[in-house]
Amino acid sequence: MTDTPLHLGKSYPRRDALEKVTGQAQYVADTDLPNLTHGRIVRSPHLHARILRIETAEALAVPGVIAVLTHADIPGAKIYGDLLPDRPVLASDKVRFMGEPVAIVVAKTRQAADEAHKRVQVTYEPLPAVIDPFAAAQPDAPQVHENGNVLSHFTVCHGDTAQGLAQADLILEETFHVPRVYPAYLETEASQAVLNPNGTLTVWVSSQKPFHDRHHIAAAVNLPEEQVQVCVAAIGGAFGGKEDANMPVLAGLAAYCTRGAVRLVNSREESMLAHPKRHSGQLHYRLGAKQDGTITAVEITTHLDTGAYASYGPAVGQLLTEVAAGPYRIPHVRSETFVVYTNAPIAGAMRGFGAPQANFAIESLVDTLAHRLGLDPLEVRRRNIWRPGDFNFTRVRVNQAESTSLALETAAQEVARLKALPASPGKKAGVGMAMALQTMGLGWGVPDDSTNRLEWQPDGQVLLRIGAPDLGQGLNIAAAQITAEALGVDLSQVEVAPINTLLSPDGGVTCASRMTYMVGNSSMLAAVRLIDMLKEEGARLLGVQPDQLEYRGGQLLRLDQPHLPPIPAAEITSRLAEEGRALHSTATFSFPYGPEIPTDLGIGMPHVLFCLGAQVMRVEVDSELGSVEVTHATAVHDVGRVINRAALEGQVEGGLAMGMGFALSEDMILKANGQWVDGLAEYVLPTAMDIPGEVKIILLEQPESSGPYGAKGIGEAVTAPTAAAVANAVFAATGVRVHAAPIRPEMLIRPA
Amino acid sequence: MKPIEITLTVNETTHTLITLPNRTLLDILREDLGLTGAKNGCESGECGACTVLMNGAAVNACLVLAGQADGCTVETIEGLSKSGQLHPIQQAFVDAGAVQCGFCIPGMVMASKALLDHNPQPQEEDIRQALAGNICRCTGYTKIIQAVQMAAEELRHD
Ligand code: FES
Ligand code: FES
Repeated sequence: MTDTPLHLGKSYPRRDALEKVTGQAQYVADTDLPNLTHGRIVRSPHLHARILRIETAEALAVPGVIAVLTHADIPGAKIYGDLLPDRPVLASDKVRFMGEPVAIVVAKTRQAADEAHKRVQVTYEPLPAVIDPFAAAQPDAPQVHENGNVLSHFTVCHGDTAQGLAQADLILEETFHVPRVYPAYLETEASQAVLNPNGTLTVWVSSQKPFHDRHHIAAAVNLPEEQVQVCVAAIGGAFGGKEDANMPVLAGLAAYCTRGAVRLVNSREESMLAHPKRHSGQLHYRLGAKQDGTITAVEITTHLDTGAYASYGPAVGQLLTEVAAGPYRIPHVRSETFVVYTNAPIAGAMRGFGAPQANFAIESLVDTLAHRLGLDPLEVRRRNIWRPGDFNFTRVRVNQAESTSLALETAAQEVARLKALPASPGKKAGVGMAMALQTMGLGWGVPDDSTNRLEWQPDGQVLLRIGAPDLGQGLNIAAAQITAEALGVDLSQVEVAPINTLLSPDGGVTCASRMTYMVGNSSMLAAVRLIDMLKEEGARLLGVQPDQLEYRGGQLLRLDQPHLPPIPAAEITSRLAEEGRALHSTATFSFPYGPEIPTDLGIGMPHVLFCLGAQVMRVEVDSELGSVEVTHATAVHDVGRVINRAALEGQVEGGLAMGMGFALSEDMILKANGQWVDGLAEYVLPTAMDIPGEVKIILLEQPESSGPYGAKGIGEAVTAPTAAAVANAVFAATGVRVHAAPIRPEMLIRPA
Repeated sequence: MKPIEITLTVNETTHTLITLPNRTLLDILREDLGLTGAKNGCESGECGACTVLMNGAAVNACLVLAGQADGCTVETIEGLSKSGQLHPIQQAFVDAGAVQCGFCIPGMVMASKALLDHNPQPQEEDIRQALAGNICRCTGYTKIIQAVQMAAEELRHD
């Protein structure tokens, strides 16, 4: 490895930026196909209803309509799911949420499909519905599925909380509510598929997990997986929400059944209704502490609304359970979570995967504790925070626990700086902070592999094939930089291939802050192998021993004859090409889980790596209107090692904005008229007007020993603490402690 | 519904088309002219992904009906880079690292162009206001605002 990095830490522009600024990038809906037809999904207008009859004749009579498909037309698996199969591809006997797909119309034009989808007549018998997870967990609640509404129930105990609470001088008991957040990627879900003349299916997706999609599509149409090819188009954002195979499966099904090419693009309304959200729910805490701020025990009971189908709900509930006590050494902890089916929109993976909800509650509560004890919130955190050698209550030893206090002390300086700023006229100013706690990877023992393939081409270019997509966050440029660093070559020599399940290795799912870490590690392994192979082939072609060659910066040096000019790799690879051979290496990196973890936990597979940090917010609250403006934000995050600085900053800035939406405006609620909040006028996303005038990013680089050049994930930790930091700042400004996000102005205006 | 005939100039090429009157400028650009740079993010004027310039002003193409575009001059992202050279605004977006998933970017770039065409020396507040109708879920806007500032600087020196 080189001492002075060639590429690490540099802000190279992304490769695809050029085609994106010129409008040439091909998202699914931009990719034309010959004889393309258009699908439109018929969706449930009810929260919960029995399907009595589906009549298609009138829809089929619309000119241009090719087919109307229902569950009866599915040749293969009619049910799918990633953690458990509970989701109908198309509803058959009942619908469990508003927007659930019931049928799909395929027509020659978009207009005909739109017209016909209104004419599919579905007769429903409405059933009582439940959309509150706490109510749904009660025995007399309407049943969403046959086996009860509690989908998962986790309890992790450490120590004896009764004893810990008995030692406390003060016990706080508080309940927090967290919103149903819509990922709101700007590109709605889209997929298109074509049945090829040879009977194979090609499907274009905007998805985080093309290989899982292939599996579900193949099962639904009853084809072997090798006969389904999934190609990843440019992806217009995902944030966890595109870990749902519904659109790829429906597009594949439609193309298969009509023996043609079908495009399926959701409207914004469909996207909002029918695709996974961040889990809403309630978190109940009992926390005991000594007079000096030392926390003696905490008991947590969480109810998460997972909506009508499981999606990734159980895994989200598990992660939340693990981080619900924050980055604190608390001797007695009990964390219990219920993941509950309701008739609300499906909740699943979304950036943070349970951590933002937990961070909001515990970090608000720690501030409340400080206030009640008359202590500085920073002091209370100092007293309880993880130190090197500490274990989380899940019995996992904390990696780089020193980052926690480093982040805290860095944030403390920012708190002091921002507190000194005067408030604007008519405004109350306040500064608040929160610690960030996010896990990385999939959890102990969950098979988590990343396979990469490197091909050194005859022209000297190195092609990197990775198997999980770049969602826009910059994975490809980070992977290219790590590969170029490991090979010691110019960045322009490394190209990242588009993903196609025929040619790319299976890289799992782009999720869980795992990509830089996993793909980086496997790229480095593949690079080492590629160098060895280059030396071997070089030695053979040159008629020398491999140890007479030294590899340096994309070239081979002759150690036996140092006066000869170095031999570029292209010379070797082009000679190989003449022999009809190619130089390529494949390497798999498997997540290193370390020592066995006790299995009596209540959750079998705790996460073993943590991403740590802190955020500080300064707000100004309008004394009359109660409106909150975030004027300054500082994000302090331990990233292990910076690979691409601009891309990393972009992750922090975007994650902060998403956290601000959670804090101040975003919640998908059922309105009084019985309809869900609909469209981006009602569901308010942060705009350029809402972004703080100052966004300061402080990156800590505490190398992660198992990471590529010390790097670890960042995509999620940046969103987790924002809402609590805003809430704590609002408390500092107004003295009002909010227990729910988003914080609405009416919560802050006290009756005179 | 009776089709209508409209004539419009897009990126300096004039087209005459027969179309149903309930179709939008966005449909015409994407489906009839094959210009897929302008994106459909909401079809209701709420996201800005479809922003193009019509007679020099930024509009949401999804809200412009075919008849309203008749006789108009339209500029889209595809018309911005001349002879393979990125327009300074496009270059600034690349250089500032303002492009993530990219779905908002054609609209952002066109909205920025409308701003800089009319106000070559915008204050930061002017930029925020000009982009307030363009949603970006990836970047948190910071680098987009920086890109517009960089482009303004560059254009002043041209
Ligand atoms: S697509 Fe036109 S504003 Fe969203
Ligand atoms: S870059 Fe993804 S929406 Fe703006």
